[in-house]
Amino acid sequence: MEDSRPVKIQRSDSALKIAMPGDVTYLAHIREFIADLALKVGFTEEDVAKIEMSVDEACTNVVEHAYSTGKKWHVQNRNPEIRLAIQADENQLVIEINDHGQHFDFSAYQPAEPQTRAQDMHTGGYGIAIMRKFMDEVGFHSSAATGNTLRLVKYLKKT
Amino acid sequence: MKDFHIDHQSRGAVQFIRLSGSLDMYSFPRLETQLNTFFQQGRHAVLLDCKDLDYIGSAGLGALIGFAKLAREQGGDLKLLNVPDRIFKIIELLGFTKVLQVHNNETAALDSFSKS
Repeated sequence: MEDSRPVKIQRSDSALKIAMPGDVTYLAHIREFIADLALKVGFTEEDVAKIEMSVDEACTNVVEHAYSTGKKWHVQNRNPEIRLAIQADENQLVIEINDHGQHFDFSAYQPAEPQTRAQDMHTGGYGIAIMRKFMDEVGFHSSAATGNTLRLVKYLKKT
Repeated sequence: MKDFHIDHQSRGAVQFIRLSGSLDMYSFPRLETQLNTFFQQGRHAVLLDCKDLDYIGSAGLGALIGFAKLAREQGGDLKLLNVPDRIFKIIELLGFTKVLQVHNNETAALDSFSKS
């Protein structure tokens, strides 16, 4: 029988997987979960805030852009969903954010630094620039088979 | 996790807005609508008390920048008050504190509108 719960959580040896509707009402839940996890893993308050904002910007982009109506999605006729796969060890936190919305050419999008955008009083377009500034690695893969996957990595600095 | 809440009142010529909760993609349209209403009413001086703000994302920051830009063209401005340390550090790193004034004293913040 198909699992009809809006939020699904799967634990395996390698990752914690969470799937939830691609809807703005779930963004706060994602942030709260990620911030709590990052704190428990041992990140500083400042790094927790950076990770929280990066994940929020990524998920916001999924809702706002990947699942925008009237566009061709990787998988049509399926409800919008955000799927997170999270791996944490003593060295780093890896968060993969997957969707089946419209294709995006990530490498071709090179926005100016957030500080430059702010200085120019831009009202939007900060999301990817923020992720690149706050995370240690930002990767992206898009294919018809797997949809869009954004990979965010933050290194756990030893003190 | 607190719900987003906006409370506003006039302090002389300044619109004083107290924000609480999270200002993200879900909640920012409510603030944007309020700011648009002020703008249409010719109220171009806005002070945002952020003491009880838990989070702000780029959508929320964009709404603040958008109002500040329009308000300045009319001789007004949008300024921030009591930004929690955690949020201040983030918006400072992103360069927003260079384009939006941040105050820690309410009287000084209100006075600064008549001086600018």
